[in-house]
Amino acid sequence: MAIAYYPGCSLHSMAHEYDISARLVSERLGIDLREVTDWNCCGATAAHSLNHKLAVGLNSRNLNLVKDMKLDKITTPCAGCFSRLKTASLELGDPAMRESLQDLGIISEGAEAVQVEHLLQVMLEEVGLDKIKQNVVKPLKGPKLAAYYGCLITRPRAVAQFDDPEQPMALDNLLQALGAETVPWSHKAECCGGGFAASDTAIVVDLGGQVLEAARQAGAQALVVACPMCQANLDTRQQTIEADRGQKYGLPIIYFTQLMGLAFGFTPKQMGMQRLLVKPNQLLALHG
Amino acid sequence: MTTNLDKKALVVGAGLAGMEAAIKIGQAGYEVYLVEKENTMGGVTGQLFSSFPRWENPRELVDNRIQTINQIEKIRVLTTTTVQSARREGEAFVVDLQKADGQVEQVAADAVVLATGFELMDVSVYGEYGYGIYPNVVNSLEFEDKLREWSAAGSKADRPKSIAFFKCVGSRDRSKGNPYCSKICCMYTAKQAGLTKDLLPEAKAYVFYMDYRAAGKEYEEFVRSVIETKHVRYVRGRPSKVLPENGRLVVRAEDTLMGVPIEVEVDMVVLASAIVPREGTRVLAGMFGALTDQYGFIENVPFELRQTGNGVFFAGACGFAVETAGAQAQGAAAAADVVALFNRVPQGVK
Amino acid sequence: MAMVDYYRPLRLNQIDSSLQEEIKRTCGVDVELCLECGKCTGGCSNAHIFDLTPRKIVQLVKLGDEKRLLNMDSLWTCVSCQLCVDRCPSHIDIPRIMDYMREKARKKNVRAQRESIEIFHELMLDSIRKTGRVAEAPLALKHNLRTRQYFKDAELGGRMFFKGKLNPLSPKVKNVKQVKDLFAQTIDKKEG
Repeated sequence: MAIAYYPGCSLHSMAHEYDISARLVSERLGIDLREVTDWNCCGATAAHSLNHKLAVGLNSRNLNLVKDMKLDKITTPCAGCFSRLKTASLELGDPAMRESLQDLGIISEGAEAVQVEHLLQVMLEEVGLDKIKQNVVKPLKGPKLAAYYGCLITRPRAVAQFDDPEQPMALDNLLQALGAETVPWSHKAECCGGGFAASDTAIVVDLGGQVLEAARQAGAQALVVACPMCQANLDTRQQTIEADRGQKYGLPIIYFTQLMGLAFGFTPKQMGMQRLLVKPNQLLALHG
Repeated sequence: MTTNLDKKALVVGAGLAGMEAAIKIGQAGYEVYLVEKENTMGGVTGQLFSSFPRWENPRELVDNRIQTINQIEKIRVLTTTTVQSARREGEAFVVDLQKADGQVEQVAADAVVLATGFELMDVSVYGEYGYGIYPNVVNSLEFEDKLREWSAAGSKADRPKSIAFFKCVGSRDRSKGNPYCSKICCMYTAKQAGLTKDLLPEAKAYVFYMDYRAAGKEYEEFVRSVIETKHVRYVRGRPSKVLPENGRLVVRAEDTLMGVPIEVEVDMVVLASAIVPREGTRVLAGMFGALTDQYGFIENVPFELRQTGNGVFFAGACGFAVETAGAQAQGAAAAADVVALFNRVPQGVK
Repeated sequence: MAMVDYYRPLRLNQIDSSLQEEIKRTCGVDVELCLECGKCTGGCSNAHIFDLTPRKIVQLVKLGDEKRLLNMDSLWTCVSCQLCVDRCPSHIDIPRIMDYMREKARKKNVRAQRESIEIFHELMLDSIRKTGRVAEAPLALKHNLRTRQYFKDAELGGRMFFKGKLNPLSPKVKNVKQVKDLFAQTIDKKEG
């Protein structure tokens, strides 16, 4: 199964461990991830905030590159990139937008046909839980996990077209297939503060704090994410949140692909577990 | 003019509307089959703890109607019975009725009254409210049972300290396919919140509303009395999310009068779920050549309010959400149509 | 269009509905579908710090009050979490309205009160314009310098550096000319 792979900027820097683990577990599952040749940034919050056509254009260029690679599907592990790519793909359904971007030399015929899926969606819908279970050699009998979906993997439903945005279960199901226990909790799909970590840290401390507090109340011992922004907000700002709320959390924020890797028998080092700021000690004790 | 008392009517559904239709047709001297899929008559009215706008006990009304039916020889009540199929034979219908024991009885009917009532929308589609996930999030019919439990002497049932009522859950929501107003929720929610204050005087009751629609005799006064004398707190705004927190439920909404987001901690959330047609109504309508609308409610033929097909009439909430009194009135009106049909005078005779 | 005079009662018959029509035409968002229920605002991640909440924003579009929409702080503190549109019974795409008004504010050179967020967006776009991509570490550093927060997150930066989280290299797209052209034809294009 060959799928175009769009790591996005974060996975090439801060979220390197997400990139590495995504590639290794995909390979193990027989998914041939082919990085999009010469991809550009999706524009993230900045582009769509300031210019609609720029945002659609940047992502359409990437879709066009996939088409040039003779592939019909693109996947990305980043929820933000996923949302921007999928929004662009839907916007290309509008002939006026399509023609305009063709005139600008950004796309040619067929870019609109490229399908966009988040990597989590590929795992559930293309690979399937059965095959994932078959690859488990070290079941995740570790900490109780809170599956955290954040905003853009499932929302808005008209764009994402994946899982239930209010009570999502896809990631829970995946983690359970790895042998883990997930907790039911309230803030699965509330916002962590998104792209505001650097520009308005107080927003991330407030919203991220609500997420961590809810996870603590639910008895979770670690959070599992499928987005580098969620990870960065909840991990790198956790100390500040703890100071702000006067509550110690110590909750490791782990990428789902890292846990897939551990369950598949990769070492914590291979999965880049040492790169997490809040150390996942409990998991390291079991899988180290 | 001759009256043909051999004519027979079939009434499907023995809720308030169906019972009323059967009573009036029976009292006019015609034979009536009153078919009910449950094992008792009374429908939803029979499940209610109290009624608006006079705080009456709906059970008394239902018992009175059942008693009346039992006194009319011409009415044959068939409970735990459903309509399996129907075909037209001339102007009449031949109908197969399926009983609980699996036996099928065939009857002939010269007119049919459909009175299959309504059901509440499955509001688990609102993941943000957590119905079906959080045990203390209930729909409005389930809440009637709670009221009954709390009113029972010596009941040990858990008594919440605070309850939030959400109106328009599934109604006035085109994203969920129901752009219509379910008409009765404003009134029964006021009733339920008022009863909460009567039965649990220490409890707080919050009603979240977009607006309240109290168009009916004594309705406005009823809602005002709930606010002014029972001290139910009305908050204008449609709730956005229910979040469990420290063993309670936090409701997130906007107070749209102030224009600010608010939160309130409660122990129970009651969802005034949209009124939708019963699942089988569309199929049943098809058997008798009755009209249905886009939602599956029974629709009338032009100019005739209770007629939906040739010799087929309807009453009650299978046509659209209706309050108790309205259902009863529609039952009587449908019966008048049936009796008029059975006594039709040839054209040109005055 | 008649300016809204905040010192007099709003005279509805003098209000211009062109903004409402403009948003319907360019964004495909019809604010007349609003039921005024407030579900958008009740769930909004940041409504508690907004000067104008999502429901009011929809109402201001109806009132044609462009001035207030371009100047509101909410324009910049909206996290684009999509909760409002996803729960709206009419699926009114409020985030799209927000994007549109920000784009318009930029065109009209109306600066954000909370400059830090706007500057961050602009620095990010600068990076994409020049290289086609974004490197987080240099971006955060530049942002701190531009917003005169010289020591912001210095300690955190240190911890992240030792975790190998900060990649000082700026990657570059080969066909960056195509990206530059896109900028020139969209956000950098002068009107008229």
